[in-house]
Amino acid sequence: MHIRDRNLIPISEKIARGERLTAEDGMTLFTSPDLIAVGAMAAAVQRQKSGDAVYYVLNQKIEPTNVCVLTCRFCDFAAKKGDARAYEMSTEEIVARLTPAIREVHITGGMPPDWPWERYLEIVRAVRARVPGADIKAFTAVEIDFFHKKFRLSIEEVLRQLQAAGLQTMPGGGAEVFSERVRRRLFPQKIGARAWLEIHRTAHRLGIPTNSTLLYGHIETLAERVEHMVRLRALQDETGGFLTFIPLAFQSGATGIKPPDVFTPATDDLRTIAVSRLMLDNIPHIKAYWVMLTEEVASVALNFGADDIDGTVGGEKIAHDAGAVSPMALAEERLVRLITDAGKVPVERDAHYNPLRVRGEHVVGKIPYLNSVPFYTAFDEGDFRILPVVPRRMGILAGKGELDAGPFSLMDYLSREDSMDLLGWCIATRDQVKSVMLFARGGWRDLEGRRIGVTDDTATSVHLLRVLLEQKYGVHARLERLHQGVNAYDAFDAVLLIGDEALRRNKRGLDGFELVYDLAREWYEWQKLPFVFAVWAARKALPAHARAELAALLGKSLAACGSDFTGVAGAHGRRIGLTDDETQEYLAGFNYTLGEREREAIALFRRLALPQGRGAADAARRATEAG
Amino acid sequence: MSAPALCAKALAGERLTKAEGVALLARASLLELGEAASALRFRHNPPERVTFHVDTNPNYTNICNVDCIFCAFYRHPGDEGAYTHTVDAMIASFQRAAASGVTTILLQGGVNPALPLEYYLELVSRTVAEVPGVTPHFFSTSEILGMARVAGLPVAGVLRRLWDAGLRTIPGGGAEILADRVKTKISHLKGTSADWLGVMREAHRIGYRTTATMMYGHLETDEEIIEHLESVRALQDETGGFTAFIPWSFKPGNTPLEKIIPRYASPVRYLQMIAVARIYLDNVPHIQASWFSEGKKTGQIALHFGADDFGGTLQEENVHAAANFVNRTSTAECIRLIQEAGFDAAQRTTLYDILRAYPRPAPVAAAAAVQ
Repeated sequence: MHIRDRNLIPISEKIARGERLTAEDGMTLFTSPDLIAVGAMAAAVQRQKSGDAVYYVLNQKIEPTNVCVLTCRFCDFAAKKGDARAYEMSTEEIVARLTPAIREVHITGGMPPDWPWERYLEIVRAVRARVPGADIKAFTAVEIDFFHKKFRLSIEEVLRQLQAAGLQTMPGGGAEVFSERVRRRLFPQKIGARAWLEIHRTAHRLGIPTNSTLLYGHIETLAERVEHMVRLRALQDETGGFLTFIPLAFQSGATGIKPPDVFTPATDDLRTIAVSRLMLDNIPHIKAYWVMLTEEVASVALNFGADDIDGTVGGEKIAHDAGAVSPMALAEERLVRLITDAGKVPVERDAHYNPLRVRGEHVVGKIPYLNSVPFYTAFDEGDFRILPVVPRRMGILAGKGELDAGPFSLMDYLSREDSMDLLGWCIATRDQVKSVMLFARGGWRDLEGRRIGVTDDTATSVHLLRVLLEQKYGVHARLERLHQGVNAYDAFDAVLLIGDEALRRNKRGLDGFELVYDLAREWYEWQKLPFVFAVWAARKALPAHARAELAALLGKSLAACGSDFTGVAGAHGRRIGLTDDETQEYLAGFNYTLGEREREAIALFRRLALPQGRGAADAARRATEAG
Repeated sequence: MSAPALCAKALAGERLTKAEGVALLARASLLELGEAASALRFRHNPPERVTFHVDTNPNYTNICNVDCIFCAFYRHPGDEGAYTHTVDAMIASFQRAAASGVTTILLQGGVNPALPLEYYLELVSRTVAEVPGVTPHFFSTSEILGMARVAGLPVAGVLRRLWDAGLRTIPGGGAEILADRVKTKISHLKGTSADWLGVMREAHRIGYRTTATMMYGHLETDEEIIEHLESVRALQDETGGFTAFIPWSFKPGNTPLEKIIPRYASPVRYLQMIAVARIYLDNVPHIQASWFSEGKKTGQIALHFGADDFGGTLQEENVHAAANFVNRTSTAECIRLIQEAGFDAAQRTTLYDILRAYPRPAPVAAAAAVQ
């Protein structure tokens, strides 16, 4: 990397070591003349987190009313009751606007003085009923706070009722910038930082993932932007509930804060995206919201740290009323082209960022855990593109023909053996693994009839747990799938976690779960065989030369590691709290070559985990997709 | 060679071969290109400053016999809207432009065979005499070739007559892509790559300074883009006459080529062009980005990808406008766009002499410190 601004070099070294940046680093990044170096650092982090993928969603925005009790200086969407431009949509009008194909409905709007609480719940229920295939992302923290005060319900009660009606995620709007100085000057009637953060904290605790935003380019200082990011990062450390961060470029329009034709400089847009990618090391996604940024800047921003471009949107009135240059709704193809133009792979997602459709060729899945890092060190060369995706979702994508190859969870491979070829590599243990862990309140035999929360990320570990419970210990427990993202473990007697989350919990401990079992070790002590969690496979239709190239890349990646894993994976380890020695010891515990003993172990597991005879593959498929 | 190795080679001051240029364009990520180009830009032009000039792009005629399929501007004689202005009318318009602060007049046609050489000579000599304070930056290579045909003179002879009339600089338009496979398809009457390079060579020998341009985003391949850069670099080795390189994307609106290429190339492609040009053209002093040709925001970004100049303010522009691509600025906005992007601004002449500096108001100009 060529860094012109010497002040950036210590920051670049920190990032390479997987260290967290300070607020002071944030200021250095914001004020450096070397925009390109800032962008390049962010692009490198983006690549680690998202590979070559850029996400989009088929979404629609519903704004039930623009009538609002607040009067905010920067908003020219809101109207007062009786204004010529005031409108209030009935529930029937709202559902009539919904397109069946959408995957996400975004509901937000004004806060009218006279709507009853039931009307909001009814809207959510009606949308749920009309488009059951879509996730509902609804109501900013400002609206939640309004409901809380107006209807005299606790924040938690407001959220619980909305959740019961069908709300799944919450948008990040209303955060503006966490500065009392700015709030007093621009939006004194809106909630402040503490209330915004508390509402999101509560949502995360209830299992409602949310977005986060920053409104920039008005009267805020750079220090206030950095402070905003640091506070979001702290809450994310606590809850893990933020899905994405969206820097929103201020559009002055008729607000009078800036001249109507003065937009944020493109360089500031790109820098804000890049700095947020670097500062917010714990938020999975950064969104370049094309409606506000313009398509031209959004496309470039996909090379400056952003891995999400929002979606087709439906009727983006707020941005439109303020004079956004972009047309109201881009067709999906237009988004796909915008992403492709940026050199990325368009991936359609749902509200939880599960990939639904991959719009590119030569795309290879990547398990986003530390144990898979050694496979990918050589992928900068060659024509293969990388999509990080948890094992279970990788299996579903492969089933739909959306991926060419990947390290598939063993159960997923077994259910699709006929359409896949093994590539000779795997993720197998020698004896223990430390990242497939059962955290329990008691011993194995105490789990009879108890509830065990099991990871949503993969089916193989869940099947391994069932085999151990039933066939090694003769115990029958109730396995309940955890939901994605944030979970409360209180209700369970044991919890099965995998991947980086298991590594992290194994090191720090999980409150209330005194006993920790390593499933690979349990298997090894029982069968004296390794356990194969995943196998590299390619779809049969992949041309032979491409398969050969892929096999060569994998061989080259592993050879580059040799027996020292800290060089390639140390930074990843440090990001999840492991020392270099711990990373080395953990990765040295894996065997990546699919040999005779591994094949024997697969055959044995197949016999134990799957029903015999005809229909075994179907049963496995049902087990992985539903189970 | 891998993309980082190619960038390292360029940064070590070594020249990239054609094959390496193609590999760079194909393999380097956008920010790999940006890093190398930005570093090289500050070697060629060390100040954290971006220049611009106050110019206008009028046309004396839209009558043209070259019939390029990428052009929405030209008319045939007798077509509705066909026009040819008198020298008097042009001089009057130049005077109005000069009074508004314009220092460069980039004047082009049409290639109108009805106009005698004297018309062009008079345009030059009267501009020099009657419009003080402006530099005439007149006539593309196609027009000069047209003049030579009409007058029955060699190109060098025409260039000599124009020089004697007072012309010193020539715009670099009409190059499109210097690859005859492409030229045959998009502008078969316009002459070959060798014709464009030949006129430029003769001009540089006489003492003219010229720009070089590239219009990409139509039928060309990556190899042909590098071939184009290679031709410019080779001629520059020979003559040293190019001041700047200016790429822009093909604008399909209202052109026959629109049916095949309905959209103009992406901003990311533009940034790649700017960066690769800065890396490959190790002997051309300036790379010009434009607030105009790809939009103001993309123009600002391009200033970090190797460009050191923001082009002209373009008081008048008709060719892109004919393709429904309209974009306007003012001198004040031009300065603001440069400063916001993190640079001092400076108004320059056609030949890159600084007329007036507009330093950034504060050391940190990139951010929204609008307190």
